[in-house]
Amino acid sequence: METMKMWKLLPVVLILTIAPVGMAQELKKEFIDTQGQESRSAAVKVKGGTMLFLAGHTASQPRPDADLGNFDAQFKAVFEKIANTLAKAGGNLDDIVSMSVFLTDLRYTPQFQKMAKDVFKKNFPAMTFIEVSHLARPQSIMEVQPIAVLP
Amino acid sequence: MTAAKRLAVFVVLYFAPVFQPIYAQNREMVIPVPQSAYSQAVKVKGGTLVFLSGVGPTDEKGALLAPGDFPGQVRATWENMRRIMAKAGGSLDDIVTMTVYTTERRWGETFTDMRKEVFKTGYPSSAFMEARKLLTPGALLEIQAIAVLYD
Repeated sequence: METMKMWKLLPVVLILTIAPVGMAQELKKEFIDTQGQESRSAAVKVKGGTMLFLAGHTASQPRPDADLGNFDAQFKAVFEKIANTLAKAGGNLDDIVSMSVFLTDLRYTPQFQKMAKDVFKKNFPAMTFIEVSHLARPQSIMEVQPIAVLP
Repeated sequence: MTAAKRLAVFVVLYFAPVFQPIYAQNREMVIPVPQSAYSQAVKVKGGTLVFLSGVGPTDEKGALLAPGDFPGQVRATWENMRRIMAKAGGSLDDIVTMTVYTTERRWGETFTDMRKEVFKTGYPSSAFMEARKLLTPGALLEIQAIAVLYD
């Protein structure tokens, strides 16, 4: 009789064994206090997934004295580069949960936020804007350092 | 030992390693520097991540609080971070790392003294630096943080 009871427990044992594996892989994202106008969320809460820490990305070209263009051109170049980096890791721009944005002039912030709206649509990452006096190259006016969580 | 007891022991031992990665969530402050209220590193395992945007001393409409008063601005910033962390289901104690941007680095000592009053269960890792300008005119500091919550 005891043996029978033990056999009855077998499916329960199997389900409980497999359940945590599924739980650990599932990615849950919650955007807290999203400010659509500023294209950012006050915080992004993330459970599960694989983290990707990106370097600061700039519009740099192989030639150090290359013309990096105006703000819009640099924005496009920076996000193209970030998208490339994310793609190599198996992700895309939607996986970004946080960004540090370093600008040489904070007056570019509204333009950055306007262009970021087209990139992220509505699930906006946490963002921090900081004005710095110099970036690595004199032509650079922005550097963006993201953190992403891939499913 | 009865068969039922043997079964109980078997079940407990069988599940222990399966649930271990889920329940053995922890964090460890590596090389704490109590006099400056930070840790050289914080080691975390598991949990839910919360990425915060840069938080400054502003009211809910984004207007500056405590103009010219650094300690007052620090308190206002903690209050804003506390509110965001509460929305995420946590508290300031869950913060594992922060980057502190200030307009004048001479505020460093005042800031670390005030951080001692806030963190009671271990200090986060931290970087403190002078930015040329912050987003809110008149703000003397802005804090960007990452927190880890455990169920």
